[in-house]
Amino acid sequence: MDAVPLFIYAAAAALYAVHFARRDGRSGRAATMLLIAGACAHTFIIGMQTMEVWNAPFGSPSRAVSTFVWLLALSYLYTELTTDERAMGAFILPVMALLQIVPAVVQGREGTDPLLDSPWFWVHMLSLLFAYASFALAGVLGLTYVLQFKEIKRKSLGFFFPRLPSLHVLDEMNSRAVTVGWAFLTLGVAVGFVWASQARAVSPDDPQVQAFSAADPKILVTVLAWAVYSFAVVARRAMGWHGRRAAWLSALGFVIVMLSFLPINYFVTTSHTFQ
Amino acid sequence: MHLFLLGVSHRTAPVELRERLDFASRDVGAAVEALCARTSATETVVLSTCNRSELYVAADNVSHARDELVRFLSDYHHVPVDQFTPHLFGREDAEVAHHLFRVAAGLDSLVVGEPQVLGQVKSAFAVASDRRCSGPFLNKLFTSSFAVGKRVRTETGLGEGAVSVSFAAVQLARKIFGRLAGRRVLVIGTGEMGKLAAQHLRTQGVGEVAIAGRTIERARAVADAVGGAAIPWAEVMSALARADIVITATGSQVPILTRAALEPIMGRGRRDPLFIIDIAVPRDVESAAGDIEQVFLYNVDDLQAIVQENLTRRSAEVQRAEEIVAEEVGRFMVWRRSRTVVPTVVALRRRFDTIRRSELERLDAKLAGLDPDARARVDELTRLIVEKLLLEPTEQLKALPDEETQVAYTDAVRRLFALRAEDADAAAADPDPTPSKNQPG
Repeated sequence: MDAVPLFIYAAAAALYAVHFARRDGRSGRAATMLLIAGACAHTFIIGMQTMEVWNAPFGSPSRAVSTFVWLLALSYLYTELTTDERAMGAFILPVMALLQIVPAVVQGREGTDPLLDSPWFWVHMLSLLFAYASFALAGVLGLTYVLQFKEIKRKSLGFFFPRLPSLHVLDEMNSRAVTVGWAFLTLGVAVGFVWASQARAVSPDDPQVQAFSAADPKILVTVLAWAVYSFAVVARRAMGWHGRRAAWLSALGFVIVMLSFLPINYFVTTSHTFQ
Repeated sequence: MHLFLLGVSHRTAPVELRERLDFASRDVGAAVEALCARTSATETVVLSTCNRSELYVAADNVSHARDELVRFLSDYHHVPVDQFTPHLFGREDAEVAHHLFRVAAGLDSLVVGEPQVLGQVKSAFAVASDRRCSGPFLNKLFTSSFAVGKRVRTETGLGEGAVSVSFAAVQLARKIFGRLAGRRVLVIGTGEMGKLAAQHLRTQGVGEVAIAGRTIERARAVADAVGGAAIPWAEVMSALARADIVITATGSQVPILTRAALEPIMGRGRRDPLFIIDIAVPRDVESAAGDIEQVFLYNVDDLQAIVQENLTRRSAEVQRAEEIVAEEVGRFMVWRRSRTVVPTVVALRRRFDTIRRSELERLDAKLAGLDPDARARVDELTRLIVEKLLLEPTEQLKALPDEETQVAYTDAVRRLFALRAEDADAAAADPDPTPSKNQPG
């Protein structure tokens, strides 16, 4: 089922790339239409899966990735439609298409762990996935800022100069995406912390619950990401870390987030695997 | 009917002559009206820009039209004929389309790809069209040229990249700051160059403009001229701290802005980058200043290099633009040829309809017994038969590949159906003679 949005996103990614290279209105509008179609199909599939198992659309790592891609599609669409700026699509859509391969290929098993049967689970997951979507946007904005910055600074105006938005706009959007993402990351982590302490009080002998410690790689990496983004938010306001420094920070943060989200989720962590 | 164009352009005539034959500085509307009134051509459009004065007409007799246009140019501008005839160029039919499409695409401009010319072509046509001087041929020709201009703009990079130093600077400023509204500009230096730069940025919509000079009187004079504020020399650095864009244009022999002086300004408290445009020779800003993280430093040579690169890039796009023009000329000529068969098609249709009506009239008495509904149906049926019989021959005639074949075929049709010349002439005024099923009978 998750292959349907994958194909639509891949096609949209190709169209956004064509639009980026040729800058004609027609391919741009077609790309947006295709992305809207993909997001609608994705919404339908996530809705159906949720109704089917009557469980949150992030019961397994694969479904969490799918929901993350879906949130990213919606966040990107929101930015595109509000700023009328399509250049980012050429960078975001490939990320979406690549990530969507995971749920399309790996059939995740649904967690039926009673621990997950809690409203905290929804708040925890939704805020984190939304935070990650914001960070993905911020990371791409940071990358494109660096590309644009380099061409202007080196006085060799080449491929990216006419295609990318102004440094000011990229920096502003980056700042907003990081701030929103940081707020949701903080909320998600805080909820997770409270929820884990509650579980520890209820069933202290559960090995799963015992794994909720700072030594767990997933928790460790998430805290690291939180530290990086907190620094980015504070440094921008207090230390004048705008522009290129902020751009690099958001790119670094996104790499950490993706580490926590994909390899660690699947291969390393013990605390966040539910049966 | 032929399309014909006569005119002078920057390729054929020196600027003194172009000025004397210029319509734009006077009233183009009056000119097109005057031409329209005295020429035998049925349609006229006057295109006049700073680089060209061109008269477009649709006329039956080209050499006659040419003479008329030459006389019109001479009379209207009071220039003796022999002074400008060597510089005139004329075009006919497909060449007219080719020329106008190239003009609209910016291919014939002094600066290749400049965007203003398309607007000028549009307004020239609007002026003629408002005064009913244009007609079906020129309407189609000009609306096609707008489409060509648009296609070239969107499908090629012909109009891309700034091709003057001042626009290159503005384009850079836009890519750094986004919108220029509300941005502060500081001009250091009170010479002519600095003043021009300030004026240019003003027209591009920047917020405040401040002028700093070694003597406050001169700074005030420039500030008054460009609508800015004068800054005393002692306050240059604090003004610089507030500025987003700095233009340096002093006659100083040593750099007036150094890295060491700029570093504290670009410290923690500052949010936005600083864009410095150094147009002074010798340079006013130490090149090491450009190494500061949020400082973008461009001097005149840098801007000139960008302009040169943009010009090279544009010329690479010329071939693609010419291909689009050629393609659209082909498309226009297909339409144009379909028009040569139009009078014959209309005459043929008239003939068939006359026969149909006279037969219906002849049967009038016999049909009187039918109720009105059935009468109407008989009428409709006969009309449909005529339409359907004519549909295929009409399409075939319009699709004939070249004018010669078309003339041969239309002659044959005229002879076979004994169509008289006056039928065809009367038919020429008919705007859309294509038989269609939906046409009311």
